[in-house]
Parts: sequence; structure tokens; C-alpha cells
Amino acid sequence: MQSRDGEAVLSVKNLTKRFGSKLVLDNISLTIEKGKTTVVIGPSGCGKTVLIKHLIVLLRPNSGEVYFKDRRIDNLREDELNGIRTHYGFLFQGGALFDSLSVAENIIFPIRQHYTISSWKEVEELVKAKLAMVGLDGYQNYYPANLSGGQRKRVALARAIAMNPEIILYDEPTTGLDPIRSDVINELILKLQRELKVTTIVVTHDMTSAYKIANRIIMLHNGKIAADGDADHIRNHPHPVVQQFINGQVGDDDLAVLRMSGTISQAQFLPRDFE
Amino acid sequence: MLAALGARAMVDVTNAGRFGRFVWGAIVASIRSSTRPGTYPLVWTQMLIIGVRSVPVIMITGAFVGMSLAVQAYDQLAGIGLEEHLGVLINISVVKELGPVLAAVMLAGRVGGALTAELGTMNVTEQIDAVRSMGTDPVRYLVAPRVLACLLLTPFLIIYADLMGVVGGAVVSFSQLGINSTAYWSFSASGVELWDVAVGVVKGFFFGASIAVISCYKGFTCREGAHGVGLACTEAFVLSFISILALDFALAVIFKGIYNTFWPFKSLIA
Ligand SMILES: Nc1ncnc2c1ncn2[C@@H]1O[C@H](COP(=O)(O)OP(=O)(O)OP(=O)(O)O)[C@@H](O)[C@H]1O
Ligand SMILES: [Mg+2]
Repeated sequence: MQSRDGEAVLSVKNLTKRFGSKLVLDNISLTIEKGKTTVVIGPSGCGKTVLIKHLIVLLRPNSGEVYFKDRRIDNLREDELNGIRTHYGFLFQGGALFDSLSVAENIIFPIRQHYTISSWKEVEELVKAKLAMVGLDGYQNYYPANLSGGQRKRVALARAIAMNPEIILYDEPTTGLDPIRSDVINELILKLQRELKVTTIVVTHDMTSAYKIANRIIMLHNGKIAADGDADHIRNHPHPVVQQFINGQVGDDDLAVLRMSGTISQAQFLPRDFE
Repeated sequence: MLAALGARAMVDVTNAGRFGRFVWGAIVASIRSSTRPGTYPLVWTQMLIIGVRSVPVIMITGAFVGMSLAVQAYDQLAGIGLEEHLGVLINISVVKELGPVLAAVMLAGRVGGALTAELGTMNVTEQIDAVRSMGTDPVRYLVAPRVLACLLLTPFLIIYADLMGVVGGAVVSFSQLGINSTAYWSFSASGVELWDVAVGVVKGFFFGASIAVISCYKGFTCREGAHGVGLACTEAFVLSFISILALDFALAVIFKGIYNTFWPFKSLIA
């Protein structure tokens, strides 16, 4: 298992989250160490996004606690949280770029909110540098509507790292990117961790990427932590659910459903159906 | 059955509480923003979007109000031989009531709808969460500039509506109804006071602020999806409309009270 001697930056204790009657996170406890990369995996809809939104208190738990450097943050007021959130970078699963602002303005946004800008030249340099990191230098004046899905994701990534945060939460940074670009993002994540000692939490479905960047992998399943350990621990995990997930195998239940749904013609529309 | 009613009431109370908190937050943020020059560009942008493009529709609204009033009121007044007082009637109605209210309703549709749709879309695409995630208060960044812009612009737009209402009423009175223009204006001038115009314009501050706050609130609490945004826009308009009428009534009572304590009653037709 993972050594627990590092300094804890983030931790959650007995976190439970419900939406209506649906239990999404069930009594989860977790400690994130400073300077490490933690990857969260798990089937679609299992609550990965919900979990990392709790780490920055974009969502509040029904019960349980969230700590940032030993300070309890889940019960703070929004204006108190704003100061704490400047230590974070958050990449949203859908990018969440401001579509009324250009790419450059999107990246300048967090800087502008927290500093009075004295030299626009420096800011321009910074935008250029951050965009270059994600391979999009030259796109400063584009609007999000004119970018492809993968490009938007990368601009959002550039925005998340614009303030050189201590903690970066990435929600599926490589989804929708081609394999080479995905690997560039992996390298970027590694580089930020190595050079700036950022604490990184990555939600991903991409096992190649997970193995490459992770110091620790956590698998969520049915609202609980099903597996927790380094890459080897996960690869050799005895639990069948974990094995199925990391090898991308369909479970027997899912297969049964597919078999039951009959012949192709029932599941597909044919041109003659519209005549 | 009872449990369902109770649950429903709970939801309503919770929503009312949330709305109250939002209004309070919006007011505080707007006051703070108005003292910070850093936010003026944001307010300015919103004023351009909200104000400039609303001028034509507001002017058309005003003109038609004045014109219709002239046509409707003429017969009754002519019947008792007071048709030269038509100007007083039209102009008082326009500057005190119809100009402000109809201009505000127009703005609730035009500006309120756009605000709700914009913020609602930002909400469902997580852009508002993105603002929060970067340590910025979305109420300060998104709501305050819009509230300030609406608050400052609505009175001006009401002046435009008033102006066009007066012109529209006069044009119809002179050209269609053949009223003597000198008499028309002199009765108007003695009947309509600065107070009446001021009342109408001051209402604009309240109407503008309530349109903006309600529309922003509906955008912020809008549900997922295209349907959610559409629903939020409808609700925002209905709520703005009702609040305009309610505010109009409340302000009429208040202003009347103020007026009566300072000036005695004066008949318009004597
Ligand atoms: N705002 C919300 N209201 C109601 N239910 C929600 C909300 N957000 C998430 N959920 C529910 O929580 C569950 C977990 O959602 P979450 O977005 O965390 O999944 P995920 O693990 O990130 O999935 P994916 O890999 O597809 O992104 C889902 O079943 C979803 O229905
Ligand atoms: Mg997700």
C-alpha cells in the first residue's frame, strides 16, 4: 500500500453526498499528500466529478468534512472560500470556458480577478507561455465557439494552471484528445508536478495515462473506494470489478442485456421506416 | 396528501429564503461595485448591451401609448366640451403610469429574457461554477454589473418613452382630432408638474433593479438543459411583470402620501 508519511494537503472524512434519494458518495475518507499525483478512476456516473468538486467545495457534503491543510473548509461561507480557492486550479469536465470571452481573456480572467495588472506585456507573455504548453499558441483571439472540443479542453487546462496553483484538479484532461496530444498533456502534468511540486488529482478513464502519471490510483465503485494504491497494486488487484474496469472488459450483466435486445433490425432504424 | 402539501410548502419557503439571500447579496455586491472603479468597464459593457439596443423599441412603445390614449379619451372629453384638456390627460397618464410601466414591461421581455438566457446557459455549462472555482464571487462579477446597468438605464429609457408618448399623443390630437395646439400645450403645461415626471422616472430605478435581480436569480437557479433555460426565461418574465405592477402600485401609494403632505389636492380639470 501507499506510504502515508507525506504532508496532507487535502483530506475528506466520512464524506457522504446524496442527490435527492440517490446516494452518490457513501462515507468516503481520503487523504491527499502534498506533491503527489492521485488518479481517480471508476465507471461513468460513479461520482468522480462529484468527489473532486467537494475537494474545492463547489459542492457541499450532506455529511462529513473536507480539510485543506488542516483547516476545515466544507462549512465556510462562499466569501471565505474564495481566498482558499485561489490555491486551486480546476479543469472542468466540459471545459466551462467563458464563451463571451476570447481565449486570451479566458486565461487572463483569474489573474485579473486577483491582481491589479501593471504590465500588460507580462500578461501577454504569460498567456502565450500557457497556451504554448497546451499547443495552442496563436489562438489568443479565437472565441470558444470557434474551437474544437479538444482545443477547448486544452484552453481550459491552460486557464486552470494560469495562476500557478498549488493544487490542480483535472476532470478528464485527456478525454477527446488524440493519442499524441493526450501524451503531451500527461507530460505537462508530470512536468508541473516535478518542477512546481503541485499536488495533482486527475479523474480519468484513460488507463494508459493513469499508469503513466499516477503515484496513487483510487478506484470508486458504488460510492465507495474499491481500490487504493500505486499502479502495480491496481494492476494486480484481486477484486474482479477492478480487473474488469482496468482491462476494459464488459461485465456479464451488461453482456446479458445486449444479448437480450434481439436482432439488429429491432435496434436500428432503417430508411424504410421513414417512408 | 398532507405530506405532499407540507413538502411543497417547504420547497416554497426554501426558495423564498434563497431568493431573499440572493437579493440581499445582489444589493450588497452592487453597492460595493459602485464604489470600485475596477468594475465600471463591466457595467459600461452591460449598459451598451441593455440600453442602446433597447432605445428603438422603447420609443415605439411610448409613441403608440400616447397615440392610443388620444384616440380613446377624445370622445368622452369632447362630449363635455373639454377636448382641449386632452393634453393633460394624455401627458399625465404617459409620464406617471403608462410610460414607466410599459417601458419596464418591454425591458423585462427584452433585457430580462436575455439576461436569464445568458446566465442560465452559463449555469448549465458550469461557467458560473468556473467563476467560483477561480475564487471570484459570481454575484459580484456577473450580477452586480447587470443590476447597476439596469438600474441606471431604465430611468433614461423611461424618459425616452415619455417623450415619444407626449409626441405621439400630440401628433394624433392635432392632425387627427383637430385640437388647437396652443390650448393643448398650455393646459398640459399647467396640469403636468415636474413632480409627475419625476415620479415616473424614479419608478424606473426600482423597476430596473427588480427586473435585473429577478432575471439573474432565475438564470442562476435554472435547471439543466435547453428546456430548463426556456422555463427559467418564462418564469423570469412573469415574475418581473408581476413585480413591476406590484411595485408600481406600492410606489403610487407612497408617492401620493409624500405629495399630499407637501401640496394640497389640485383638480386637473378645473
Ligand atoms: N447536480 C446533480 N443533481 C443530481 N444528480 C447529480 C448531480 N450531479 C451528479 N449527479 C449524479 O451523481 C452521479 C455521479 O455523477 P458524476 O458526474 O460524479 O459521475 P462521473 O463519475 O464523473 O461520471 P463520468 O465519468 O461519466 O464523468 C450520477 O449518477 C449523477 O446522476
Ligand atoms: Mg465526470
